[in-house]
Amino acid sequence: MAYIEFKDVVKRFGDNTVLDHISFGIQQGDLVTLLGPSGCGKSTLLRCLSGLETVTEGKIVLDGRDVTNVPASKRNIGMVFQQYSLFPNMTVEQNVAFGLKMKKVDPATIERKVAEAIAMVELSGKEKAYPSSLSGGQQQRAALARSIVTEPAVLLLDEPLSAIDAKLRKALQSRIREIHQELGLTTIFVTHDQDEAMVMSDVIQLFHSGRIEQAGSPVEVYTSPVSEFAASFIGSYNQLSASDFTALTGVPVPQGNVVAIRPETIGISRERPDEKDAHLVDGTVVDSTPRGNVLRYTVRLEGGTTVFVDVLFRSFHMFDRGNKVYLSLPERDCLVIPVNAASARTAA
Amino acid sequence: MSSKTKAVKAAAPGKKTPLAAKIFLGIVGLYLLVPFLTTLVYSLFVEWTDVLPSGFTLRNYAELFTNSTFWFSIGRTLILCLVSVAITIVLLLLAMYVVVAVNRRLGRFMQFVCMIPYALQGVILSIGIISLYTGTGTILSNRMFMLFGAYTILVLPYIYQGIRNALNAIDANMLIQAAEMLGCGRFRAYVQVVLPNIVSGILVSSLLAESIVFGDFVLANNIAGTNYQNIQVFLQANMARSSGLSSAIVVVIFLVVAAVTAVVLKLQHTSQKQ
Repeated sequence: MAYIEFKDVVKRFGDNTVLDHISFGIQQGDLVTLLGPSGCGKSTLLRCLSGLETVTEGKIVLDGRDVTNVPASKRNIGMVFQQYSLFPNMTVEQNVAFGLKMKKVDPATIERKVAEAIAMVELSGKEKAYPSSLSGGQQQRAALARSIVTEPAVLLLDEPLSAIDAKLRKALQSRIREIHQELGLTTIFVTHDQDEAMVMSDVIQLFHSGRIEQAGSPVEVYTSPVSEFAASFIGSYNQLSASDFTALTGVPVPQGNVVAIRPETIGISRERPDEKDAHLVDGTVVDSTPRGNVLRYTVRLEGGTTVFVDVLFRSFHMFDRGNKVYLSLPERDCLVIPVNAASARTAA
Repeated sequence: MSSKTKAVKAAAPGKKTPLAAKIFLGIVGLYLLVPFLTTLVYSLFVEWTDVLPSGFTLRNYAELFTNSTFWFSIGRTLILCLVSVAITIVLLLLAMYVVVAVNRRLGRFMQFVCMIPYALQGVILSIGIISLYTGTGTILSNRMFMLFGAYTILVLPYIYQGIRNALNAIDANMLIQAAEMLGCGRFRAYVQVVLPNIVSGILVSSLLAESIVFGDFVLANNIAGTNYQNIQVFLQANMARSSGLSSAIVVVIFLVVAAVTAVVLKLQHTSQKQ
């Protein structure tokens, strides 16, 4: 049995259904990411688990105990908010000690645990500082220390790094992952950033319009998207309609599907390659964009379809705009996936 | 150093206030002080019928300070201030707890209710209260309690605005939720986490309310008159007697309000430092 179970959870705000019959389980000690675009219901599910929102229908079970109607203050769940939410009138030390005082822990233990938690988030020396004198990253680390010091049954992180600059965000991602491994704490992380989800998670639950679109390990979700939405949200997949793909390669694809191909799996060359098990198409380079160590080409194919091709950024092997090129699309990387119902509705 | 200069220095550490700004502030300050200084000068001279006043005297102040009715009026006004402002603060803090932590939709209703006193003329409010409660035989038919009630209504919008702004500034709902996740009940979170962070806002709005109560004549005169004479009614009663004396009363009112303001600002400064 899973450590946390969502059983057919529905959440409505008036006529708006934000969570639509969500059911899944989380194993103890896992770091699970709820990933999805804004408004897909991921934060609402987190708040339902925390007790800050009530569920309209369904049940939430934590460690074998039905917590659906238990107040937030009685669930023993730690939470880090996007806006830090440190208490402005208290120092870092007092903020971190707050939860332990609520639990009536003796002062000597409080002192020891607070010092340990502050050291764990690398904020030693800032014990007496007020939140207003800390940077965003320091405030978020103080909030993290405040949440883990009470040794909660689950740690919830609601887009905790979205207001922090990219460099610091990467450092904090690593630190959160390390702390999770050190403490073995069951952790649920909410984000709309797929790169962050890939780095952090044991399991990704991909949300779309109040439902779970796909669940699995980061590699599974990245390499085997189950729907058009999953392919578009994860990994910048190129998506070719069934008719376009058939016209380009001659391979029939059933209607109601798209063919998704990751940009880094496509080969690009000036000469026609002699490759087996790959579809060869020709096109024209219309743009190239450096993306760190990867160069992304935009190539226009026959019929006007454009695809992205990612290659390692090597200056000796570059194509200019207007160059005629051959693309090889490996057969095993051309994934035929259904157009999901939600996307079809949107397109219509 | 004035509090204004301190504020400017705190906002931009290491930067000096430009000379032009100092001169401008000085001129505005002087302009605002002119009525007070004129009244002060008028209260210190025997008569002022020519270009310059003549005959320096402290007689007006001596007469005022030996008049027990004056001291009672001051005392009553301070009690009216303290009690009515305190009642309003307590009621509003409890009501705002419901708005912040229980049902945020009630916020608009609260705002509507608290803005109504803005539209009430003093005469209408006082006549309404008198006609409602006089002769009811309850404690509310007592003129003093009527006055407390009237001032509680009068200062409601000012204190509401101050508390609401302070609560919005700290995102009180989010702080309560953060405290809840640490095992703290909602009301306890409101008291232990939210209230200490809005003390400054409460003090500033109560300062405004205090000056309004101190300056009121209409409500005090209509509802209580000489039954529970406040400082403005005392001033009115003495205006016909001597213009020098009434000027001295105005000067003392100004100084008392300034003293209360200084105490409140000091408290605010202390709470901000903490």
